[in-house]
Amino acid sequence: MKILVVTELRQGKWNNASFETLVAAQQIAKDTSSTVSALVIGKGISAFADELATKNVAEVLRVEHDLLESYTPDGFCIALKQVIESAKPDLVLFPHTYQVRDFAPKLAAMLGKGMIGDCIGVRNESGKLVFVRQMFQGKTAADVTFTGAAPWFASFQSGAFRADLLAAHPSGKAPANSVAVSLSAEQIRTKPLELFKEAKSAVDLTQSPLIVAIGRGIKAPENIPQAEALAKSLGAEIAASRPICDEGWLPMERQIGSSGQTVAPKLYLALGISGAIQHVVGMKGARTIVAINKDSNAPIFEIADYGVVGDIFEIMPALTEALEKAKSA
Amino acid sequence: MTVQREQLEADVLIVGAGPAGLSCALHLANLIKKHNASGARPELSAENIYVLEKGREIGAHQLSGAIMNPRALAELVPDFEKSAPLDTPVTDSAALVFTKGSSLRIPVTPPPFQNRGNYVVSLSKVTKWLGGLVEAAGVNVFKEFGGAEIVYEGEGVAGVITEDKGLDKNGKPKDNFTPGYELRAKVTVLAEGTRGSLTKKLVTAKKLDNLNPQSYGIGIKELWDVRPGRVAPGYVAHTLGWPVPTSMYGGGWIYGLSNNRVSIGLVIALEYANPQFDPHAAFQTWKTHPFLKEILDGGKLVRYGAKSLPYGGWYAIPRTYVDGALIIGDSGSFLDSQRLKGIHLAMKSGMFAAETTFEALKSGDTSSKMLSAFPKKVEESYIKQELWKVRNFHQSFQHGMLSGFFHTAFQQITGGRGLIDPMRAHAGNEAYQKINGRPAPERFKGDGKLTFDRLTDVYHSGTRHDEDQPCHLRVADTNICSTKCVVEYGNPCQYFCPAAVYEMVSESGGAPKLKISAANCVHCKTCDIADPYQIIDWVVPEGGGGPNYEGM
Amino acid sequence: MNIIVCIKQVPAKDAPLAISGNWIKESDIGFEMNEPDSYALEEALRLKEKHGGEVIALSLGPERVKQTIKEALAKGADRAIHIADDNFAQLDPLGSAKALAAAIQKEKADLVLTGLQSDDHGFGQTGVLLAGLLDRPHATIIMQIEVQDGKMRLKRELEAGWFQWMECPLPAVLSIQSGINKVRYATLKGIMAAKKKEIATITRESLSVSVEPTQKIEKIYVPTKTKKTEFLTGAPKEVAAKLVEKLKFEARVI
Repeated sequence: MKILVVTELRQGKWNNASFETLVAAQQIAKDTSSTVSALVIGKGISAFADELATKNVAEVLRVEHDLLESYTPDGFCIALKQVIESAKPDLVLFPHTYQVRDFAPKLAAMLGKGMIGDCIGVRNESGKLVFVRQMFQGKTAADVTFTGAAPWFASFQSGAFRADLLAAHPSGKAPANSVAVSLSAEQIRTKPLELFKEAKSAVDLTQSPLIVAIGRGIKAPENIPQAEALAKSLGAEIAASRPICDEGWLPMERQIGSSGQTVAPKLYLALGISGAIQHVVGMKGARTIVAINKDSNAPIFEIADYGVVGDIFEIMPALTEALEKAKSA
Repeated sequence: MTVQREQLEADVLIVGAGPAGLSCALHLANLIKKHNASGARPELSAENIYVLEKGREIGAHQLSGAIMNPRALAELVPDFEKSAPLDTPVTDSAALVFTKGSSLRIPVTPPPFQNRGNYVVSLSKVTKWLGGLVEAAGVNVFKEFGGAEIVYEGEGVAGVITEDKGLDKNGKPKDNFTPGYELRAKVTVLAEGTRGSLTKKLVTAKKLDNLNPQSYGIGIKELWDVRPGRVAPGYVAHTLGWPVPTSMYGGGWIYGLSNNRVSIGLVIALEYANPQFDPHAAFQTWKTHPFLKEILDGGKLVRYGAKSLPYGGWYAIPRTYVDGALIIGDSGSFLDSQRLKGIHLAMKSGMFAAETTFEALKSGDTSSKMLSAFPKKVEESYIKQELWKVRNFHQSFQHGMLSGFFHTAFQQITGGRGLIDPMRAHAGNEAYQKINGRPAPERFKGDGKLTFDRLTDVYHSGTRHDEDQPCHLRVADTNICSTKCVVEYGNPCQYFCPAAVYEMVSESGGAPKLKISAANCVHCKTCDIADPYQIIDWVVPEGGGGPNYEGM
Repeated sequence: MNIIVCIKQVPAKDAPLAISGNWIKESDIGFEMNEPDSYALEEALRLKEKHGGEVIALSLGPERVKQTIKEALAKGADRAIHIADDNFAQLDPLGSAKALAAAIQKEKADLVLTGLQSDDHGFGQTGVLLAGLLDRPHATIIMQIEVQDGKMRLKRELEAGWFQWMECPLPAVLSIQSGINKVRYATLKGIMAAKKKEIATITRESLSVSVEPTQKIEKIYVPTKTKKTEFLTGAPKEVAAKLVEKLKFEARVI
């Protein structure tokens, strides 16, 4: 089977989720004795293609065109359709990014195929690939398979695979080839304009890979800066259980739980949170859960990977210090 | 805040789409249909009947065990057996006495606990089905709208104002602020269920109280899926004794439904002396009895809910009519507390209200004189017959189970008269004894498999409210909580609320302050009933909020 | 401006889920409008208020979806189309999109709006697929829409706090970001008026689209996590060091 990974560049840099997808591809390739090709699309992408060539892939494809300099759904779909028709991969993989959500399903449909999106895992069941994705806002998981012939399209959720597991090319470099695509300006119907950053009043915790959450144990708003310092040293976003937001100590957008956001970050550090079911349903999908609570019977420990029965006011500063030390090490 | 309210006019406005309100609506729609078909004048329309329902769906806020006597339903919907979602007929009625480790089935089930001919039902499902018939008849049922205020005119009632929507926590209008409507109607029927918020105010304003003040119990329910064969469908058991102390009135129920589902619960009269008593904890403890354990072992909690019940009986039924308005169903206390039957009485009261209203509409006279036909109908019906027999029942238990049995034994053989008739009652919230320094009891934690803490249970009630709205639990003076109640009664709201809404929190060593988590509220009204100073006023939150008892 | 809003009815958020094969048992649970779609509907109503025209609610599913359609009508949609299909829950994203597109083709809509994704399946593909099937330009995760001279200026949300403006011609398909507006309440008058508004019911079969599935949900299940909590003990400094080590080398999250 031939696997093609479509990587993503964002404002002249890698969208790191691309590497996670490569890891997924490498894993599938191992399980099914397949080959992995990686694709870079845009303009002025040689350096990126060269970088990909150092990874354990069979081949790197460069898809370049003036009209691909900025992302447009039309540009990407028309170009990639041509690439897929010529390269004939069996499985096309994407990272599940905002950009991919904008064009990939349409690309699949243009080829008469469907896409299984936002997968959190995949396994080989006697030669058939079974993709796992979440349904009902994370309350359940679903096993999904493709029906019909290749090519098949799938995307993986950020954090489902670990970019640091990306294997390097065993003997140095994979071949990098350009794929010519034809595109004309009339085919591109939307016009991208200026990009800008806004101090978002609404924070999207669902996109944060690391979260430090505080609960009742924080006792008073004056203590929150300690947790924020810890979050900063971790590079995490701060979040809270409902009582904290109810009191107005943190804005509503930071609330995790059945009446707030549901998150599945790489790391969820729960400080002084008891683990009532209303909160737990909002975060039990997190990959690694660390809980610090004075009460050894707190239900949060039932779902934690690492637990510390202790005083958060002693642990927080100690942890912040240890993290700063590790950063500078 | 002075708001411009849109005015709408209806012929009849029914507040509450429960069994009473819907029976009223359906019966009235049927009467109107026949009336119009006969060519009689004035021509009336079912579309001019408005029903308000604060829940998201019809049936969302309906909670009961329940065993239903089909008597009234059979009159309202003659072919109900074919279409009504009745789960299973009662096959066995048991009365059990529990002690800590054992249970004894009373050999001959006493008459009040016999239920042959009745059905085990999900009241939510029955109400939803009934609602479908009402809507099909052309009646306008407005879901997610509650009655927030009564519109008074002259000596009586001219209608109801619905709640303002889109106010933030501080009462300021949000982008989507939509003021409540002033709904005027020729006849307003209050069918709000137990401790109706508008009913309470009307009764006070117009001095409609009867001989006895209203008196209530709290019912706490869980619905479980159990291992096959544990409970037969149609098995009905009522339990007395452990863990309810003999100084208190209460008991449990176990109803077997189809598909290995079982409805269990405990009711406790809200007139106990210990202000720190926790009904929810009592219910959880009751579940640890070997009899229950055997049923529930290996099973799974499906839903949770709680609601108060009007126990007052005949002498607590207020005057149910004023110019332009009627009070029916649980709002009017039409409940047989001995047999725990209120559904058919609520429905029948709704049907009588429909007939009374129909005559009022035809004649154009909606005065209290005209509407007084309602209580007359009740007097001459089986509602009176049933309630008259138990008119002193609940009051008998004010001093505990033993004196209760003593009095009710005499009542049984004297058609309800007993040794004292009428037996007076005190408001339940006056029964508390001061704690005199007694420390706060340890809170029940639950094991997470058979027993649960309140927060976990509340999660299973499906209750949700938009967080950003004014708090619908209006406490008149929270200083009383922090200074007086904490000393005298130990803040009972923390214990009697089955949804963990109220909490006293001591912030950084200061005086304890009342913290209200209004979003947890399951609309049971216990706080409004049981608070010792009567400073808690439950008002209707933004429509749609509340528990989700669908299918329960 | 004539706008079609695709609205999905989904199981109520708080409904206890009883899994049955690759779907859930539908008895005893409530259904409601998919929350992301309610933002799309609100946006459509605001555009109509500004630019005139008509808002049509379009929904696919069994008879029960009429309840959600009525909600949309009560909020201000002018009329509705119900594509009746009892087996809707089994359709894959392409199949649903094909059915919706077939119905949309019969109307003359300037704009088709969808929510970002549904709270049940959560495929998040409908808007994009519709654009492909209708051969119209599209954009997703839209935060703001400005219409002028037959063209739109759109604000699109990107990751990590970035946004982008873009131009898009009409007719087009847009997927609306959740939370961009405050959804209005249905008014009493709106609810009553909804009773008289048209809901055209057509069967999915009558649309003659082939809904050959491209993917199949084999089963759904509650993910069981067999977690063994590792408790770290010691003085705070010790515990902190241990934890950092675990997070770095064992869990590899930092």
